[in-house]
Amino acid sequence: MSSHPNQERLALFASGDLGRLTRWTVERHLHRCADCRRDVSDFSELRSELSQSLELPELRWSQLGPEMKANIRLGLAAGECVGPRPASHLLLSPRVLAACASLLLLVAASLLLERPMPSVNEARHVQEGAILEASGSGIQVKEGGQALMLLNSRAHDVNVMASGGTMRARYVDADTGNVTINNVYVQ
Amino acid sequence: MSEIVPPPLEVVERQNRFVSDNLRRIFVQIYRIVGNVADAQDLTQEAFIKALQRQEQLKDEQKAAHWLSRIATNTAIDFLRRHGRMASCELDLHTESSDESPEEILLRSEHRDYLEDGLRLLTPRERAALVLRDVEGCPAEEVARRLDCSKATVRSHIANARIKLRRYMSRRKR
Repeated sequence: MSSHPNQERLALFASGDLGRLTRWTVERHLHRCADCRRDVSDFSELRSELSQSLELPELRWSQLGPEMKANIRLGLAAGECVGPRPASHLLLSPRVLAACASLLLLVAASLLLERPMPSVNEARHVQEGAILEASGSGIQVKEGGQALMLLNSRAHDVNVMASGGTMRARYVDADTGNVTINNVYVQ
Repeated sequence: MSEIVPPPLEVVERQNRFVSDNLRRIFVQIYRIVGNVADAQDLTQEAFIKALQRQEQLKDEQKAAHWLSRIATNTAIDFLRRHGRMASCELDLHTESSDESPEEILLRSEHRDYLEDGLRLLTPRERAALVLRDVEGCPAEEVARRLDCSKATVRSHIANARIKLRRYMSRRKR
């Protein structure tokens, strides 16, 4: 004996909502299975019972119809009064203004934090006899007649930045494209 | 300060015609989903107001009717979701006096209450799918369009709804 179709299939068979092949399979099974035939009959009965029970009660449509139409008209008129405000009002609303102000504040803070040190071509700093100099060719420390220079080899467009006792030279190597950043501090 | 400009006369006329042409159909459709005259009345009005506030959708009458049906179904489903349960059908002021005897009216009302109890076991979408298929007689494709889901989902809703109702009825009969 073949296995029974599941309840979902029998429920859908009752209203002809199965695909052609599945319907044919179920039909074949129903020919020889009284239990499943009873299930399908129950589902069909349920359909007609539901349909009858949900029939609309007899209504005084002559009263109900105009009442609903009047309410719809009233609802539309009310909607026009409280409908969406013009764009200019929306732009000036406190929420939009607060959002814009927050955004501006955020952008300003990020620009401030990201701001590079002042950029110069040459810089010089003297601290307790030590002289710190930065130029396009490199950063040099001089003290007591001796000098130490950190060269910016094979570099062009050297970006020199000075801040107090700090010198920074940033450049791109012309041959390799590598970025080099030299930071020299004097203490 | 801006003034409220009333809609032109032709727009009002078109709206009135649209309401008259579809009011009863939409009311019945919603009533079958929510099972209550008073709620069906409120929801019908709500559905029309939603539809009429989108004027541009009303130009093609055929499409507008389908679109309105979808709004009505969704409005009814949302209502059932918000309220959880359907209120039972009351014989209210709008009901016509019929030729039925008081016993017949009572019997019919009891049977309906019995069925309503069963329908409360269904999810709003299961109920809507079942009503659209079995009561309104819409094919599964149309039910899928109205509920904005696939035909397979509709079949699943319908099968689940029938199985739940059948179980409920066989329990009650015992």
